[in-house]
Amino acid sequence: MRRLTWCSLALVLSVAPLVLAPAPSTPQTKKLVYWTHWEQNPEFNKFYETRGKDFAQKTGWEVQVVTVPYQGYEAKYLAALVGKSGAPDIYMGMTHHWCGQYDFCDRMPAELAKTWDENLPKYMVGVGKWKGARYGIPIEHGNFQQMYINVDLWKKAGLDPDKPVKTLDDWLAAMKKLTVLDAKGETTQAGFALRHKGHPVGITDKFLPFAHAFGARMLSPNLEQATGFANSADMVAALQFYQDLVQKHKVASLAFPTPEDAFGQKRGATIFRESWFFGWVKKNAPDVTFKVVALPCGKACPGAGNLFPWTNLVYKNSPNKQAAWEFMRFISNAKDDLDQHQAQGILPVWTANLESGYVKARPDYQSTQDMLKQPVPPEYYHPKSNELATAFGEAVVAALYGKGQPKPLLDEAAAKMDRVLKD
Amino acid sequence: MKAGRLHWVVGAVVAAGAVCVFFPFFWMAMTSFKTVPEIQRVPLQIFPDRWGNLDNYREVFQRQPFARFLLNSALIATVSALSSVVVSSLAGYGFAKFRFPGHAVCFFAIVGILMVPFQSVVVPLYLWVNRLGLVDTYAGILAPDLVSVFGVFLMRQSIEVVPTDYIDAARIDGASELGIFWRVVLPSVRPALATLVIVKFMWTWNELFWPLVVVNSPTMKVVTLGLVSFTNMYFIEYNLVTAAAVLSIAPVLAVFLVCQKWIVRAVVLSGLRG
Amino acid sequence: MARQRRAGFFFVLPALAYFGLVFLVPLVESVIGSFYRTVPGGESRFVGLRLYAKVLSDPTFWQAVANTVSLLVMSVPTTVVLALAVALGLHRLASLRWRSAWTAMYFLPFSVSLVAAALIWQWMYDPIYGFLNHLLGQVGLPTQKWLQSLEQVRPSLALVNVWVRLGFDTIIFLAALQAIPTEYYEAASIDGAGPARALRHVTLPLLNPQIVMVTMLELIFNFKVFDTVYATTQGGPAGASQTVIMLLYDTAFKYFRLGDASVMAVFVFVSLLLVTLLQWRLFRRQVEY
Repeated sequence: MRRLTWCSLALVLSVAPLVLAPAPSTPQTKKLVYWTHWEQNPEFNKFYETRGKDFAQKTGWEVQVVTVPYQGYEAKYLAALVGKSGAPDIYMGMTHHWCGQYDFCDRMPAELAKTWDENLPKYMVGVGKWKGARYGIPIEHGNFQQMYINVDLWKKAGLDPDKPVKTLDDWLAAMKKLTVLDAKGETTQAGFALRHKGHPVGITDKFLPFAHAFGARMLSPNLEQATGFANSADMVAALQFYQDLVQKHKVASLAFPTPEDAFGQKRGATIFRESWFFGWVKKNAPDVTFKVVALPCGKACPGAGNLFPWTNLVYKNSPNKQAAWEFMRFISNAKDDLDQHQAQGILPVWTANLESGYVKARPDYQSTQDMLKQPVPPEYYHPKSNELATAFGEAVVAALYGKGQPKPLLDEAAAKMDRVLKD
Repeated sequence: MKAGRLHWVVGAVVAAGAVCVFFPFFWMAMTSFKTVPEIQRVPLQIFPDRWGNLDNYREVFQRQPFARFLLNSALIATVSALSSVVVSSLAGYGFAKFRFPGHAVCFFAIVGILMVPFQSVVVPLYLWVNRLGLVDTYAGILAPDLVSVFGVFLMRQSIEVVPTDYIDAARIDGASELGIFWRVVLPSVRPALATLVIVKFMWTWNELFWPLVVVNSPTMKVVTLGLVSFTNMYFIEYNLVTAAAVLSIAPVLAVFLVCQKWIVRAVVLSGLRG
Repeated sequence: MARQRRAGFFFVLPALAYFGLVFLVPLVESVIGSFYRTVPGGESRFVGLRLYAKVLSDPTFWQAVANTVSLLVMSVPTTVVLALAVALGLHRLASLRWRSAWTAMYFLPFSVSLVAAALIWQWMYDPIYGFLNHLLGQVGLPTQKWLQSLEQVRPSLALVNVWVRLGFDTIIFLAALQAIPTEYYEAASIDGAGPARALRHVTLPLLNPQIVMVTMLELIFNFKVFDTVYATTQGGPAGASQTVIMLLYDTAFKYFRLGDASVMAVFVFVSLLLVTLLQWRLFRRQVEY
């Protein structure tokens, strides 16, 4: 017994100093701390540290990148930004949340703001802005979706993959041809790999191209009203079309796994996904031959939409904000933009770079050009965008699962959204 | 022999249940040896193409300083388990065998902590930890994990059934309260103590939300954060997640097997058994 | 007598002090927060009981409560009964080696983080790649949609919870079973009681403290379930698996309504307190020695 006592005492005494010790002290270089939750883009994140070393030679400030899990990042950001002293100097998030709902962003210096306003594609100019002032630098083309088609499946269905469908009606006809049903009428091969799982915000994101193609919009142009827009006749028609894909035409199936897996498994012949997707396909489903084309249009064209515009923001209460803006200036040029995005294999942001050799060699070059020619679709950069998109998404999911008809579901969602807006 | 047959049936049912419960782990281990195309292959294939395929494990260590994560988790879980056992058994004894005024209220106050959703106290707690300068330190990660409510509960329930006669006898013999605790009470609840060590160790080992909020540096991250880094906004890298999960279970399993032997031995050796 | 009472208090003091410092203060701050709302710009404004009225009259909130209760009703009795059965079975095993082996297997789910468990099960539930549908297909049964079906999503999640918690409760029961002196069983068999009657009249009453504790813990755990849902269905499909804590998290951190979230937290706390107090009163029996 006594030996046990001494043993445990010894253990405690040996462990205590380790535990009470402060975090390993770093050498006295000045560091700008950058927080991001983009764990799927390590090369992109590393770029800040690499360039940070160049920046240190000029100014003595290095850059340290901290990756945060996406799951739970909002809680971590909020705690740190409220807490001030443990907060990052620069962080990646949505402008209308951290600058609109909260006051955690420092306003961008005028000449830097002008540089970005002049060099972004027109649909992205609003990204990073709140009430007309620029706070954030957009870092990617958000969730601007394009159509990926499985070339082999299209050819097998008698469709020509080189003559992409341009209208929603043609698109639906193609989807029907691509769908294979079994003896029980269940879908074994879906024409369209549709997103029906996960958080309602994601569901809204995937439905919006259809809504915009029908000429509908989720909120009024001044973002202050939902009724009359989220439940407009056009929106009801759009949701009816979407619901019919699953319930009536069976070109999409709720029994299928995530759309990416379905496409990778050659069970879904078409998918609407963003520019990062072809990297995923090349890695996870190398035997799928695919092509990227612009989204089909209905009454209007979906255009390059953007529900989650990720931007780099500077913390308002950071003691190092001058240095932070210096660093932002340092990397705000066409070459850095191209290098950084090329390292990760995603689309660069500067308009000039969209004609670079790197982009021209990508499978989505032509489709990107086509999509960017379309008019800018509605934007929903409102502080309550998460809650609004959730209410809306719940209506969409309910329709997909046949839990109701589009009109009453959308009426209910619009009423809920208005309650949220007025709150 | 009817009893013998019943015995056999019971054994078979228990074994079958154990295999069913174990199966997802088997599945996880198998997946960790597969490449991504193999994982997505249909029809399903249970066994990997190459049994010695350690590519996923290699990639886990390449992408993250996973060894450091294991060390951090081990340190934090050990301290948490030890401190919990000490404080919880003291408190459990106090609640089980003493009727001081307000003991019921105190007990329910402690159990009430469990009823508070952690998500609602995380920001205030973080702000306090920040004020104390403990963000991104071991002490900061340990702050909410030093004592276990479950431990107090378990110790109380276990000590309650210790016959009070033994304690009274020791008191009559002139032993101090602490002495009674150490010499009479603790030895009779060794299985519960071992259980608490295991449970608290594992619970702290598998914590995600608090380390997520309080840790910034890659060198201070714990195993759960490493595991979650193989999932992101768009997709889940099952091959790496399963490899990381297997790596994270191995040390915990070792602790469990050691402590489990102690439970069994403690029962055999303990003087209070019939 | 007084010395004893004082001693009792001092035994309890370290735990009380710790919990008071670490949890009481943030808890009070959180409750106070339920009377404030954050306006755009980040300021907090005092609104009295308005948020309580708002949250408690929100059908989404009550739907989340209903989902949570439904999950509870499926998980808690199943877990407790199964754990008891398994512990009794393990206890009867004569061979120590097998008992250790099976116990380790039952306990293994507790050793993996909830997120990893959720991800593994999500993969097993997958309609195309999942093992469960593969198994069903092999024996000729129709494949199921599991987490993607409105009806099946909650039972599927409940199963995951049972799987995670079973070993933990089994070990608690097993440790308690091993602490029952054999004299009691000898006395019972002298009185002519068979194994079934011994179970009812000796084992179960002596296990009563553990049964009460385990049931309370399972109630609390399943009410607060978050990680499993967050990592898999995120509350879908169509809100069928949205639990109170998921809604709380979204309200606090995705919708930035910390005041509303605090109201939900108070609701959770009060509900759990009432339920456990009720259970404590109803099922707790003093076991005399």
